[in-house]
Amino acid sequence: MSVSSSPSPRRSAVRALTRHNEIGLIGLIVLVTVVAEAAVPAFRASGNDTQILDNAALVMIVAVGEALVITARQIDLSVAATLGLAAYLVGSAVGHIGFAGPVVGVAMALALGAVLGFGNGILIERIRMPAIIATLATLSIYGGLQVVVTHGSQLYSSQLPNWLGNIISTSWIGLSPLVWAAIVCVVVVGLIARFTRWGRDIYAIGSNPEAASYLGLRTGRRTYEVFAVCGALAGLAGLLYAGQYGNVDATAGSGFELTAIAAAVIGGVSLFGGSGSPLGAALGALLLTEIENILAVLKISIFAQQTLQGTAIVVAVAGYSLLSRRLNRPVRRSLRVEAGQSRPAEPSEPVSSEPTEIAEQGT
Amino acid sequence: MDAATETGAGAPDAPAAGTTIVELRGITRSFGGVRALRGVDLSLRAGEVLGLLGENGAGKSTLVKILTGVISADGGEILVDGRPTRFGNSRDARELGITATYQEPMVFPTLDVAENIFAGRLPTERGAVRWRDLYAAAKRTLDELGVTLDPHTPVSQLGIADRQLIEIGKSLSSGARVLILDEPTAVLSSREIDRLFGIVRTLRDRGVALMFISHKLDEIRQITDRVVVMRDGAQIAERDSGNVPVSELIRLMVGREISDLYPARPTNPGEVMLEVKGLSRDGYFEDISFTVRAGEIVGFAGLVGAGRTEVAQSIFGIDPIDRGEILLEGLRFRPQSPRHAVKCGVAYLPENRLAHGLVPTMKVPPNMTMSIWPKLVNRLGVFRTREMNRQASELADRVQLQAGRLDQLVSTLSGGNQQKVVLGKWLAASPRLLILDEPTHGIDVGTKSEVLRIVTELARGGVAVLLISSELEEVRAMSTRLFVMRAGRLVGEFDCPVDADTVMEAAAGVSGAIA
Amino acid sequence: MTFLRRLTRWETGLLVMIGIVLAVGSATSPGLLSTYNLQTIAINNSVLACLAFGVAPVIIAADIDISVASTLALCGVFMAKLWGGGMDIWLAALLAVGLGGVLGLINGVFVVLLDLPALAVTLGTMGAYTGVAFLILKGAAIVDFPTGLLNLGSGTIAGTQIELSTVVVVGLLLVLTFVVHVSPYGRALFAVGANRQAALFSGVAVTRTRLIAFVIAGMFAALAAVFYLGNYDTAQANIASDQLLPAITAVILGGVSAYGGTGTIPGVALAVILLALLQSALGLAGVSGQAQTIAVGALLIFAIGSGAAIQALPGLGRIARRRVPDSEPTASP
Repeated sequence: MSVSSSPSPRRSAVRALTRHNEIGLIGLIVLVTVVAEAAVPAFRASGNDTQILDNAALVMIVAVGEALVITARQIDLSVAATLGLAAYLVGSAVGHIGFAGPVVGVAMALALGAVLGFGNGILIERIRMPAIIATLATLSIYGGLQVVVTHGSQLYSSQLPNWLGNIISTSWIGLSPLVWAAIVCVVVVGLIARFTRWGRDIYAIGSNPEAASYLGLRTGRRTYEVFAVCGALAGLAGLLYAGQYGNVDATAGSGFELTAIAAAVIGGVSLFGGSGSPLGAALGALLLTEIENILAVLKISIFAQQTLQGTAIVVAVAGYSLLSRRLNRPVRRSLRVEAGQSRPAEPSEPVSSEPTEIAEQGT
Repeated sequence: MDAATETGAGAPDAPAAGTTIVELRGITRSFGGVRALRGVDLSLRAGEVLGLLGENGAGKSTLVKILTGVISADGGEILVDGRPTRFGNSRDARELGITATYQEPMVFPTLDVAENIFAGRLPTERGAVRWRDLYAAAKRTLDELGVTLDPHTPVSQLGIADRQLIEIGKSLSSGARVLILDEPTAVLSSREIDRLFGIVRTLRDRGVALMFISHKLDEIRQITDRVVVMRDGAQIAERDSGNVPVSELIRLMVGREISDLYPARPTNPGEVMLEVKGLSRDGYFEDISFTVRAGEIVGFAGLVGAGRTEVAQSIFGIDPIDRGEILLEGLRFRPQSPRHAVKCGVAYLPENRLAHGLVPTMKVPPNMTMSIWPKLVNRLGVFRTREMNRQASELADRVQLQAGRLDQLVSTLSGGNQQKVVLGKWLAASPRLLILDEPTHGIDVGTKSEVLRIVTELARGGVAVLLISSELEEVRAMSTRLFVMRAGRLVGEFDCPVDADTVMEAAAGVSGAIA
Repeated sequence: MTFLRRLTRWETGLLVMIGIVLAVGSATSPGLLSTYNLQTIAINNSVLACLAFGVAPVIIAADIDISVASTLALCGVFMAKLWGGGMDIWLAALLAVGLGGVLGLINGVFVVLLDLPALAVTLGTMGAYTGVAFLILKGAAIVDFPTGLLNLGSGTIAGTQIELSTVVVVGLLLVLTFVVHVSPYGRALFAVGANRQAALFSGVAVTRTRLIAFVIAGMFAALAAVFYLGNYDTAQANIASDQLLPAITAVILGGVSAYGGTGTIPGVALAVILLALLQSALGLAGVSGQAQTIAVGALLIFAIGSGAAIQALPGLGRIARRRVPDSEPTASP
């Protein structure tokens, strides 16, 4: 065991790279783009690149919110229904209310999403349900509400106000407002995660929940907040969904939760919490969308895409796991409670004065 | 970040050396009938390193928990700066400047050093973290500790020694006035220990009140100013560290003569059951060779962290082996997994019985028979529950577990009864080699002697027993032969009976009775 | 025997809720208890039952498998393709079950042997298996399966009104109950789920136990595919994709803890019955199919919430104090 570690320059470069896996992801995206541009003529077709970005935008927004939740060592399966519900409700609302401009619309979408997300928080913090079950329940409930509010009909693009309906047809400096919205979300959430105390609390809680509460980080409050944020982003994505696809029915958004989680996982967000970044999740979303596009252009069935996406997830998880095992030093192996089996901290009186161990959570 | 983060007590308002910061008077504490502390008086003074010495079960860890507000005392009072205080939780204690570091440092592995040191106290301006200030402050803290560590390093890449330093850095940077170090050197190399001691001296000179808990007598003498010896829940004596001979410390720690708490040793060793040759696992232990005969109890003494558990776990197939070989009754044995070891007749009673020895949500019978579940099947593939209950009942008799307990969840049992269940589990497996790791840890005296009696009977019945224990009295009384490990190596082999001092010296690495 | 005693409060609670649904439901819609309706319920839920039964052992073992619906689709497509190529339908079904086992084993290899997080791995295989299913059929559908299979799906036992599928499902239920509650494997399963380390250190075959659980999930998903083909007479790549969440809901509702280590297979069966009756009652009362999910979600919350409350009853005072527990750092004695 060395006394103090200042790693050699080369190792430190490798380490820096892997800590900021976003660089690697960007590299991968660039590589894929370059290869596709060269090898696949149809890829270079005009408008294709904007199409990729448009297709990636919604996934990026939801993935970024999901990334925060996963970083806090939770999960949110209900985002798909939140998205769909917001798409219909806020979409109709802005359609009906004549004076509702984009600001009002966005505000409503964020608020609705936040409320739905807060619902998750209540189930998890108050009723103490495990996140996966709680958000499974809300996915069902919010999904059912989607059916109820749509009354079996759907929202038509004609009912949408212009600013929403033109969300992919207009172009601001080469990108559609939809894409700009996504970029703003990624940047804002990324900054919050990296640079605010709130964000750092989330990372700490995900990294070691027991230590976090021991040190006085308000774990309960943060849980509510992180689910509210995730919900809000899903709500925003819903509003934009209405703009992008025009018609919104009761099945809007279905499947989004898994795509978002996939994007986050590929983007390096660890399911054990405490590491990865919203930017990574967004890049993961972009990568997934780009590959999807290439396959579509190559006329490879949508169907092969699923296989590829699925394989990509497994490969990404295995890859990140391998990398972290290589780089991270196992602290004394013998008596560790395994990562991944953490349970909510139970208050208990010790039966005898036994040393209790804190579950170590490595990436 | 508050003003206190201008690294701690080096500031002009450092208390005068010798001022009592925390005082404990008559502290008592029991756990379900077991008296862990029986009226302890202690004071922690600024600019002083107080050593706390005592065997396992003497009550040191309970004392620390009370000092840090993790648990409350049943009786007695705590005075901070002369004022009687109650800690509602650990936060209260921390706010008063009482901090502690433990053998297993509590860190955020996915965050970097700086964020770990200042977790929960990040410097912010209107919600945004002031990163430059953070890294600068972290660097300052590390410099003060004399540590060359890049504050940007992710803690997951650091070994345990560095993680400990981060915890100390946490204390230092939050202006802690009291720092308790609980067995900090158990897993450190000598270079790391030197580094740590340098830091301890630095902190002491700044006026921090330090408490250094350790088994290692040479360290206590090296680094502490005063030493308090605890035994059986009370403090027995207080000495000036510079003047006290090791032999006296040992005598104080170990105390009374071997009482008839312990059964007579088995006397008829049979064939060699276990032979270990040159066993090594890099980073944990090196060149371990010993034998255990059937009907023998071989003791493994040593301080916490000496590597004994690691040896046991390698023999049992939990951990890998880098070099060396193991022979069971003369045949080569390469343990691939605990299941394999069990099939070959090896049993292991782990140190942490609740986490590693029992399934808390199950009742006594399934727990007690877990090692032989595959055998409790009838021809139709049905698990024979009735047979399980019958066997459990028999085993309960053998381990003297009250019949009424059989129907209970093991999580509701006392520590002593839990240990009996685990012991029963291994009795059921009829092993040829039984490895016990701290079997009487945290158990009341009465149950302790029952457990030890059963172990001795097992040995008489022909089982080879390897007893790992940090309780000197116990391991000396029970074993027919005693090995001592220190820092991953075997440093002594004795036939019993053997003097406590002799064993302690080998374990602590202090030679002779130094005046 | 103790097995009956083990039908704990949870199962009793489920029975009570089933009773309530039956009572209220048949009051509002008398047709709820008609033979025809019961038969319809039975037919419509055999797929769900199979999926739920299969994934329950995995969750008991403290793992998770969200690829079961995709496994169903792939096995169904595989079976249909084999039959379309001339194989006997039952042989094809048998091979499909074998494939299901293999697909489950693949999950197991990644999760257990490579030690990767189960959620992520099965998220990936979920996509991969659906993708392969699409690759085989390319969006087409195979229909018109032989009467033997269709009989399994929706036929009754000759001379009675009892659905054949129900009988088979009950048979599967008994088999799985045997495996999970009566055989030694089941003991190992619960021990592994409750405390993997302790089970490992006690000589329990942890790796094998977890792998087998994944294989069971895969095989039952394949069995569910057989039912699906029999019920709906269609094999397509995207079949039953909406059955994943109901299946997991049924498992949790059935009393299996999300953390593993507790629960019963009969409990899962009761949960499936409860869900089926609830959905039928709601449907008959005019609530649309998809809106029924609200009731399902609410039921899940109610079940978990009240379960937690019941457990907390003895220490009611503790709930109030349960805010931010101070954890105990390690210390040596």
